[in-house]
Amino acid sequence: MIRFIGRRLVACAVLVVMIATITFLLAFSSTGNVARNLLGESATPDQLAAKNAELGLDRPLLAQFGAWAEHVVRGDLGISWFTNEPVAQAIANRLPVTLSMVVFAVTLTALISVGLGVAAAVRGGWLDRVIQVLSVAGFALPNFWVALVLVLFLSVTLGLLPATGYVPLSQSPGAWAAALVLPVTSLVIGSTASAAQQVRGAVIDVLRQDFIRTLRARGINPRSVLFRHALRNAATPALTVLSLQFIALLGGAVVIEKVFAIPGLGSLTINAALQGDVPVLMGVVVTLVVLVVIVNLVIDIVSGWVNPKVRVQ
Amino acid sequence: MLIRRCSVFLAAAALVAGVAACSGARAGSSAATKTLTIANALDNNSFDPTQLNIGNQMQYWSPVFDTLLKRDKDNRLQPWLATSWTYDKSRTSLNLKLKSGVKFTDGTPFDAEAVKANMTNLAAGTGQNSYMTRSIGTYQIVSPTELNLKLKAPDPGLIDYLASVGGVMASPKSLKSPTVATTPVGSGPYVLDKAGTVAGSTYTYKRNQAYWNAAAFPYDKVVIKPMNDLTARLNALKAGQVNATITDTNSLADAKRSGLTVNTTPVNWVGLLLMDRDGKLVPALKDLRVRQAINYAFDREAILRNVSHGEGSLTTQIFNAAGDGYDKSLDARYSYDVAKAKQLLADAGYASGFTITMPESPGFAQYNAIIGQQLSAVGITVKWVKVPANSIIPEILSGKYPVAFMTLGSQSAWQDIQKAVTRKSPWNPLKAGDPALDKLLAAAQTAPEAQLPAAMKAVSKWLVDSAWFAPWYRENSVYLSDARTAVAMQAYNVAPPVSAFSPKE
Repeated sequence: MIRFIGRRLVACAVLVVMIATITFLLAFSSTGNVARNLLGESATPDQLAAKNAELGLDRPLLAQFGAWAEHVVRGDLGISWFTNEPVAQAIANRLPVTLSMVVFAVTLTALISVGLGVAAAVRGGWLDRVIQVLSVAGFALPNFWVALVLVLFLSVTLGLLPATGYVPLSQSPGAWAAALVLPVTSLVIGSTASAAQQVRGAVIDVLRQDFIRTLRARGINPRSVLFRHALRNAATPALTVLSLQFIALLGGAVVIEKVFAIPGLGSLTINAALQGDVPVLMGVVVTLVVLVVIVNLVIDIVSGWVNPKVRVQ
Repeated sequence: MLIRRCSVFLAAAALVAGVAACSGARAGSSAATKTLTIANALDNNSFDPTQLNIGNQMQYWSPVFDTLLKRDKDNRLQPWLATSWTYDKSRTSLNLKLKSGVKFTDGTPFDAEAVKANMTNLAAGTGQNSYMTRSIGTYQIVSPTELNLKLKAPDPGLIDYLASVGGVMASPKSLKSPTVATTPVGSGPYVLDKAGTVAGSTYTYKRNQAYWNAAAFPYDKVVIKPMNDLTARLNALKAGQVNATITDTNSLADAKRSGLTVNTTPVNWVGLLLMDRDGKLVPALKDLRVRQAINYAFDREAILRNVSHGEGSLTTQIFNAAGDGYDKSLDARYSYDVAKAKQLLADAGYASGFTITMPESPGFAQYNAIIGQQLSAVGITVKWVKVPANSIIPEILSGKYPVAFMTLGSQSAWQDIQKAVTRKSPWNPLKAGDPALDKLLAAAQTAPEAQLPAAMKAVSKWLVDSAWFAPWYRENSVYLSDARTAVAMQAYNVAPPVSAFSPKE
């Protein structure tokens, strides 16, 4: 198991370095207008040159990357060119917001999709058909559209829940939960629809295996067959789907944060990309890559723990 | 079994009800403290006085910093930290008398030394508005409450700047502080509440208890929330989470249906910058008849009605209607007349037309097809070059394009002249000029106060007659507020400062 984790950690480190390098090259190759955007229309060529020198944009690309990487290794992600806020602080402020939303959404997705998927696979019949229809419908609805409809009815018309914003958990647990209900619901509808189908398929596959028939033939309690044997074997594809859902939800959160004006990593990324705020963009990309890598690593470890065959593979 | 299911259902219902009950107070709902909550389209960039911007970002600094002068709701300049201002005959010496007894929130007194420190700091800075105090050559401190500014040359815009970033006063001790960008130390009606502020999310301001004119600011607390997305801002306003926000003309119908109050002010002019007046890139544009033909080629009325929903007024001038360079009679100078445009092009020797290159920004997608079609109708072909939205201004200012579409804000006439008319102006990137215009500009720069409007109008007439620009209309900036909030719009800024808000009784 330790060798397994070690191999995964090395692969993760290589991935982080590769993505950071590619993003840096892409982002820094288009910084020609940053000084002008910062200094405004009346800046003289000398002032623009001075600003470029201050930001280090007058140096060769490789030297800029080296300086940035050196600072990152020391834990310094730099300062936003446009808001003067330290990047680490901006991310620290916004990461809990996005994580609140995504972790909530993934947990609900896991609970609901496993429940629906197993029920559809085991019961079959009309229940299976209803769940499949609902899944297709849920999958077909874009999450931003769901979000807008929810805001229109539950916030603007009925005034039940806040239309925008985020309240930190430490400030008010009730307001924090209220602020998350609509964004999380918007995310969960699509992700549950997709995950439930995958869980259903995995459970049906396992239930058709020979060893399940053998267990049933030996007269073992059907509940035990389902929960102790079938679900354990169906867990690997289900966990993989959930890890993919986590990554997809991080992407989905970008749109949802915009609809609900939630100050999370998604809105930070969009603003940084639109403005050309490279230090912020790089900081967010590195943070997200590390986050995705950690999630994949955890899923790999859990899969290996649940199903020893995975470790051998 | 039934009882168990009912219990689960009731528990779930109670949870939803509880969460809904905790969903946060509506904006300004507290009776004990009057709170103003506004949604801003942009995040704050900095509290460093050298980096302050006008436009939307003015709302972030206007609660904490006083200015030397202030604009009233009729766009007239009024005393504020400066109690009076007097020019000498040559208009190169400006005497300012200052208010006494005012202190910054760190206890430093506001005096002539503080004014000098702030103005020199701004002029030496690299911000977008550092030009506002660069015409000042020397500072003569007469007394703690009196200061004389000796200008390098007459600057008809200086007084206007004193009511804007040029007149912002911060504690001199804070100007070189490492926290100057995040911790404002002013003498304004509010102080930034750091505990209630999260950059990028919420900026909270509480009353400056020692403020000298608290009665002018009715709110005890001001909260500004940056929200880039227009739909989110509208939803927040409709749901009662904020009291006011900026929007655009596309959302007017929705806003009116929702019972929101629509406040408008015409700030930006919409149209074409005919930058290649000397014909450096496209020789045809040097010919006055060609530039006039372009002015006749656009159906301004239809564009205003269909793109901006009629929210604005037709114009041929770049100067703000509230300023001293605007001449209403000039607005009828160019009507939509394709035949006349074609005739002018034929007279100039371009009967078979010519081609111009223009930057195509996704931010102006609604205008690009119209421009292409209307110019093509008179024989001018547009070759578009795709430009990312965040690069459109640097691209236009680079001097690579003979013509560009823009919505350009306008303030006082001299400010607009500095922006787009002189040979050094940034929005005159090909540095076009004309001796006749130079003479008019020199006359305006040195004109005594009483003759300034006439001198500015003469400049405007020359620009319109010479077709230096092809403005279509001045679009209304739209600011929405709820039933409990009154907003007094300002002529020179798309978003009102905090002093322009008051609760409706």
